[in-house]
Amino acid sequence: MDPKALMAIRNLELRARVVVEGFWSGLHRSPYHGFSVEFTEYRPYSPGEDTRYLDWRLYARSDRFYLKKFEDETNLRCHLLVDHSRSMSYGSLAYTKSDYARTLAATLAWFLHEQGDAVGLFSFDERVRDYLPARHRHGHLRQLMLALERKTEGRTTNLTEPLRRVAELARKRGLIVLISDLLAPLDELERHLARLTAAGHELVVFQVLDPNELAFNFENAMLFQDVETQRDVYVDPGAARASYQRRLREHCESLEVICRKLGFPFHRAVTDRPLDQALLDFLRSRARRGKMVRRRLQRMST
Amino acid sequence: MNFLSPWFLFGAAAVAGPILFHLIRRSARQRTSFSSIMFLRPTPPRAVRRSKLEHILLLLLRCLCLLLLAFGFARPFFARDILPPPASKQERRIVLLVDTSASMRRPGLWEKARTAVDEYLDRASPSDQIALVTFDTQTRNLVTFADWSSWPEGQRASMARQRLAAISPGWMGTHLGLALTGAAEQFHENSAGLREIVLVTDLQEGAKLDGLQGYQWPTGTRVFVRAVTSKKQSNAGLEILEQPTGVAGVDNDIHVRVSNSSDSQKEKFRLGWSGSNERMEIYVTPGQTRTFTAPKLPASMISNAPPAKIAGFALELSGDDLDYDNVSYYVVPEIQHVSIFCAGLGSADDSSQMFYYLQRAFPSTPRWQVQFSPELTEQTSFAIVATNLDPQQLSALRHLMESGKSALLVLDNSYAAATLVNLLGLSDARLTESDGEFALLGSIDFQHPIFKPFDDPRFSDFSHIHFWKHRRWEIPPAVQAHVLAKFDDDSPALFQVDMGKGHLLVLTSSWSPADSQLAVSSKFPPLLQTMLDWSGASAPVQYQFHTGDAIPALASANQQVIWSKPSTDKPTSLPAATPFTDTDVPGIYKASWNGQERLFAVNIPLEESRTAPISQDELVRLGVPLGFESNQAAAVVRAQQQHLKDTELENRQKLWRWLIVAALGVTLGEIVLGGWLARRVAAAGAT
Repeated sequence: MDPKALMAIRNLELRARVVVEGFWSGLHRSPYHGFSVEFTEYRPYSPGEDTRYLDWRLYARSDRFYLKKFEDETNLRCHLLVDHSRSMSYGSLAYTKSDYARTLAATLAWFLHEQGDAVGLFSFDERVRDYLPARHRHGHLRQLMLALERKTEGRTTNLTEPLRRVAELARKRGLIVLISDLLAPLDELERHLARLTAAGHELVVFQVLDPNELAFNFENAMLFQDVETQRDVYVDPGAARASYQRRLREHCESLEVICRKLGFPFHRAVTDRPLDQALLDFLRSRARRGKMVRRRLQRMST
Repeated sequence: MNFLSPWFLFGAAAVAGPILFHLIRRSARQRTSFSSIMFLRPTPPRAVRRSKLEHILLLLLRCLCLLLLAFGFARPFFARDILPPPASKQERRIVLLVDTSASMRRPGLWEKARTAVDEYLDRASPSDQIALVTFDTQTRNLVTFADWSSWPEGQRASMARQRLAAISPGWMGTHLGLALTGAAEQFHENSAGLREIVLVTDLQEGAKLDGLQGYQWPTGTRVFVRAVTSKKQSNAGLEILEQPTGVAGVDNDIHVRVSNSSDSQKEKFRLGWSGSNERMEIYVTPGQTRTFTAPKLPASMISNAPPAKIAGFALELSGDDLDYDNVSYYVVPEIQHVSIFCAGLGSADDSSQMFYYLQRAFPSTPRWQVQFSPELTEQTSFAIVATNLDPQQLSALRHLMESGKSALLVLDNSYAAATLVNLLGLSDARLTESDGEFALLGSIDFQHPIFKPFDDPRFSDFSHIHFWKHRRWEIPPAVQAHVLAKFDDDSPALFQVDMGKGHLLVLTSSWSPADSQLAVSSKFPPLLQTMLDWSGASAPVQYQFHTGDAIPALASANQQVIWSKPSTDKPTSLPAATPFTDTDVPGIYKASWNGQERLFAVNIPLEESRTAPISQDELVRLGVPLGFESNQAAAVVRAQQQHLKDTELENRQKLWRWLIVAALGVTLGEIVLGGWLARRVAAAGAT
């Protein structure tokens, strides 16, 4: 579907549904076989916790409160990391990169939720602004959509702090989808991403870019103001286009190298591309990952 | 095109702003937001030609808007008929109006005034016609237009000079308003040529300006003021206030008003009687007038003045620089004696009798003393009769009235008809008593001098006076009577019959309590007083006059009166009925007649002491069409008149409204064009 037409739909949830409903063919096979309502352990109750999980029988026997802990109900625990920094507010089309990124995140969330996977959300700029734990509950998707729709007042893109915070909060292994323009220095990025992969998380990176950021199709010499730092620089596009594209290309290549090195897929989501293409990229990468896991399991069994 | 506020045209210089901004805009850079400039490196700007302006049409619109606003605020107008065209050389009729009031007696002023007149006479062209008029409280023609025209052309100026040399400032006050309007009246007969009044005066602030405001000046009249001034000198004047007391003036305070001129440098003066060494120090700040109690007249002066009752004195002021107005003359007022013949009025101690009330209605005051006499004498001023008189008294009373005095006949009973018959020379008169419960005054002739003081709604209500009894008498046609008041039954209450030079008043009731409530009414004393005043028995005598005032005729004298002036030893003889008007010199004037003497004090008006000059703006304010020659004040006034006319023209044309509307239209166009250009630039920047 044409992104312009899609973005004309005001409701984010509806946009996600439109993308996903035409796309059910890409269901992946989960490597995890979870057992719903499978008991794991008891844990002492602390005031303020959900009383639904209190074991009243144990209370009757021991006169103490214990919570029953169960195994996860879902197959996959996915966290979406959505960049809300000010650089994402740029857009040469009728919508911004941020709009595109939100829709992409909503599409993935909807898709995964429909598969029965737990989906969580981190929205960040220079720090984490919103956090929704990965769950698969009734109403959780709605809550996530609302969090995605919420306007944020972020300024700069700083992946260091958000990724450190994600590592702290998402302790269980799962899938982490990073959606950002990644137009920030990459000095610390590799180290933090490596930390996440070391924790057992799978990573998928979507770099959202505006077509004009790639092509730099400006004509007149003018002052370019950085939306994040408000710094001005006088640039003649005709003279500076080549060097700009070269530097951007180098930056993106560096990103790809990092991702390849750490073993997770990197996708470039240019905002004029249909969103189902991005979803397709995601599913393909998931399928490749599934094949690899199956081959690895076969090898281990033999 | 003229401008009412031309300094706003400097605002047109603001067009430099848009031009500058359009030039600066060449070097300004278009700005666009970009996601990240981390991959951008600054590019050196390309050189452009700075002398070229961008968006010329926009610039023109902006400049035009500012220019229109500047022109609008400058309030332009088209000058039409702003001032009459300058007068060409044509025949002029000039009135030289020279001040000869007392204030012109100041040292040097009269010489300057004559010099000023000489200048005008010298400058007069053969075609000019000149009238020379002097003024103080009155105007006097020294040279008329007819005189001037009749004289040989080469001798006109010298002859006018001779006439002016023969006079000098007098002692009168200054009535500038009368003088100016009188001079303007001389033009009414002459329609052709220019009309000029040349006012040669000291323009003192004490000059009267009455009659100038609202005066319709003859068309084309211009007044040129040649103000003559002396070096600044302190001047104060004094004036003795009229004394109500008739007692010798020794035991009573004499009040004196001292006025210090507003340009005076001094404020400390001394007061004292002439001939006495005693002086009293007084303080009057410049521009103020204060009233003091004069020093007591020394007893030696009183005793030396023969006779003491009619003595005249002079109070002197010292301490200022000018002494022409430093003496005020004073005459001790005489006590006025009024003798009233009373007959048939009853006892003074019986409250049921008329005399009881009469003596209370005429108490003696310091100004006059009333004597009630049972005998008719030469000194009798008024007679009140309420009984039948014997033939001798009747004859004397008739003689009294025929000599010019008056009598009041009170018909307190029907038997009084005999007196009425005898006085009027009738054969019979039948009086009938009223039969009603009471009567009220039905109609009153308020135009008669006796009732004239009551001719006011506050005092004209006589309806509360009940007359229990009155006598009806039908006045026979043979009697020429004037009815002053009637009862409500239409019978006369008070009527007047002329008797020779005097009058007989007849009251058909009385003020005894048995007859009426008149005696207990508040109108009773004033009514009797007006009767007395009307008859001439108690006319107040004025002793203080200003120079130029007329001393009224001496009513009590029917012979020739010899008047003695202080300035001359030669007395003047005038009939007693003729007022004395030759009061041109301050001093003590003496009138002698029939063995009697009376003194009058004539003084300079206190206004003549206020010698500070007034501004010519005051004359402009009063509508005097001042013309100016070539001084700064002329330029200022001309500029003010020009400005007023400009304002009127501009208000009529209101061109600024159209300019503001045009500026708004241009602003609208600028907004539209600017918006269109901005959108085009933005679109270009986005691509």
